[in-house]
Amino acid sequence: MMNLGLQPEMFFHLNGPQVNLAVAGECSDVTVLERQRTRFLWLHEQQQLVQKGHFGAGQFAAGYGDGLMMMSGGGNSVLGGVANLNRHLKVDPGFLKYTSEVGGYEIPGQGFVACEIEVGTGPEITSPISRTSSCPPPPAASVDTGCGEMASSEKAGSRVRKDSCKKRKYDKAKDTKVEDDLKDKKFKGSAEEGQSKTTEETNDKDSNNNNGETSASTSKENSRVSEVEKPDYIHVRARRGQATDSHSLAERARREKISERMKYLQDLVPGCSKIAGKAGMLDEIINYVQSLQGQVEFLSMKLAAVTSRVDFNMDPLLAKEMLPNCTASFPAIDIPTEMINAAYLQYNPAHQVVSCQESEVIPNANVQRTISAPAPMAEEFFDPSSFAVIPANPFSQLLLRCEISVQAFLILVSYLFLCSHFSPPLLGTLTYKTFSMESQQGRTTNFAGAIFRFT
Amino acid sequence: MKNPQRSPTNPGSLRSRFTQVFLQSLLRIRKHNPTSSSSSSHGEFLKRCRRVKVAAYVSMARAVGTRRAWSRATLWRARNGERQRNLLYGRCSKSNSRERSLGKRKRKKKKKKKRDNEEHSFGHAKKLQKLVPGGEAMDFCCLLDETAHYIKCLITQVKVMRSIADFYSL
Repeated sequence: MMNLGLQPEMFFHLNGPQVNLAVAGECSDVTVLERQRTRFLWLHEQQQLVQKGHFGAGQFAAGYGDGLMMMSGGGNSVLGGVANLNRHLKVDPGFLKYTSEVGGYEIPGQGFVACEIEVGTGPEITSPISRTSSCPPPPAASVDTGCGEMASSEKAGSRVRKDSCKKRKYDKAKDTKVEDDLKDKKFKGSAEEGQSKTTEETNDKDSNNNNGETSASTSKENSRVSEVEKPDYIHVRARRGQATDSHSLAERARREKISERMKYLQDLVPGCSKIAGKAGMLDEIINYVQSLQGQVEFLSMKLAAVTSRVDFNMDPLLAKEMLPNCTASFPAIDIPTEMINAAYLQYNPAHQVVSCQESEVIPNANVQRTISAPAPMAEEFFDPSSFAVIPANPFSQLLLRCEISVQAFLILVSYLFLCSHFSPPLLGTLTYKTFSMESQQGRTTNFAGAIFRFT
Repeated sequence: MKNPQRSPTNPGSLRSRFTQVFLQSLLRIRKHNPTSSSSSSHGEFLKRCRRVKVAAYVSMARAVGTRRAWSRATLWRARNGERQRNLLYGRCSKSNSRERSLGKRKRKKKKKKKRDNEEHSFGHAKKLQKLVPGGEAMDFCCLLDETAHYIKCLITQVKVMRSIADFYSL
């Protein structure tokens, strides 16, 4: 686990100062023992460095293998020309991924800890900082400046490493690539950082990737990662005093969504606007839905009773149902495509008349007509003789293919007739003629023909 | 005036679509059981009621399409419900529609209990989940969304059905 979690950078740190060779091609395998020894030596050196640079002492642990690793990266760096910063990282295996995220802070010589140092960017820091607290955004930002102004000697390589590590913060998926870059640059840039062990590194790198991927799933780590990532995203909506971890952010977003929908429902459900409180509103909504469903139940009973009548004809109904649609949107002029179907299904003149008038009788909020005549006319025309369904004839099929505009115009004409209180028989013939073109009841006159000419 | 609007976005489109589908299904129901024998028994009438009701819901769901979760649930239930009902309740008292609807409700409840322990603390949400078709599988946010749409559609449905009923009760 320990070794799996180790990062190439760490090895660089660990091994760097001792070794004077930087060329990758010259790197050779080094035994673990050897590495450990060099590590200790290096750490020792680092400590001395740290003390030299008026820093607090780092914590060191000998037990590299036993699961707890303390790393000390120390060095002199000039940050804004003011402060020398020291950093002591305490890394345990579980956090190795995290350290890889923030790997840039482990650069010796940079000596700068972005995480957990609120104070860290400014003045001198004299005490070792353990890396258990969260990383606030401002220090992370200041790392950039610090990096830019870094004037110390250890430099190019570490800077590169740091940049790439920052990149990794943005995109974890690029881990491998970034680390490859990192490795290359490392080899190129850090002449004094010394020898690196390619084989070990690659092993470590791979294992580190694996480790990162698997262990990243732990919630603790995720939250940490998100904390690091937070400064990258603008849409964080936490206001002053609000919790900023990802869970509470998500929860807040969810609550906002819910309240938004509640508002919408409030507009939809009558009488709901006066009620305050979510529970009351939900109650009201439930009641409303229940009442609507009850109405549907009742109406379906009614319809069932109606449709079970012996002499029941659906056709006028079809026409009638189509008509309110067109009257609703556009009084008598705008005919939706269903109108064609209505005309197609409509074979009986009297029914047509009835339906035409029904459309106005039905209380519809959108209907703007103010005709009072239709109702009596409807009853007048509701004679049982017209209940028989006349089969479709080719002409009506032909009519079906007519332009909708023609239909619309016909309806308009009939509407005008209605308005001008034409006699019912005439109207009957009109619709009869126009829609079914069947001369059956002898009422068909040349009037219908005139209408057709007109259209 | 000569070119009527045919855009599907016009406000009447859902309504007209529903009307069309519903009337067609009414016609089918009528054709399926000829009117002469239907008015004979009470059970027959209840059965017809149920069919009309289901037809209303299904045609509304069809008019809405499969975009919405509740319409999908309704259609699914209508499709699979037939089969299950035939299997489960087909043997016992097929004529009694009330029993069947009770059975349906029971099934819904059972499904619910598994779910709502985890999510919603208030009992209102549970109730609402029961009312909105397919609500058992939704989280609260989705549920509210679907409820809003469902209410809209129900209003339309009731309007259309009422106008049909009014037409015949003249």
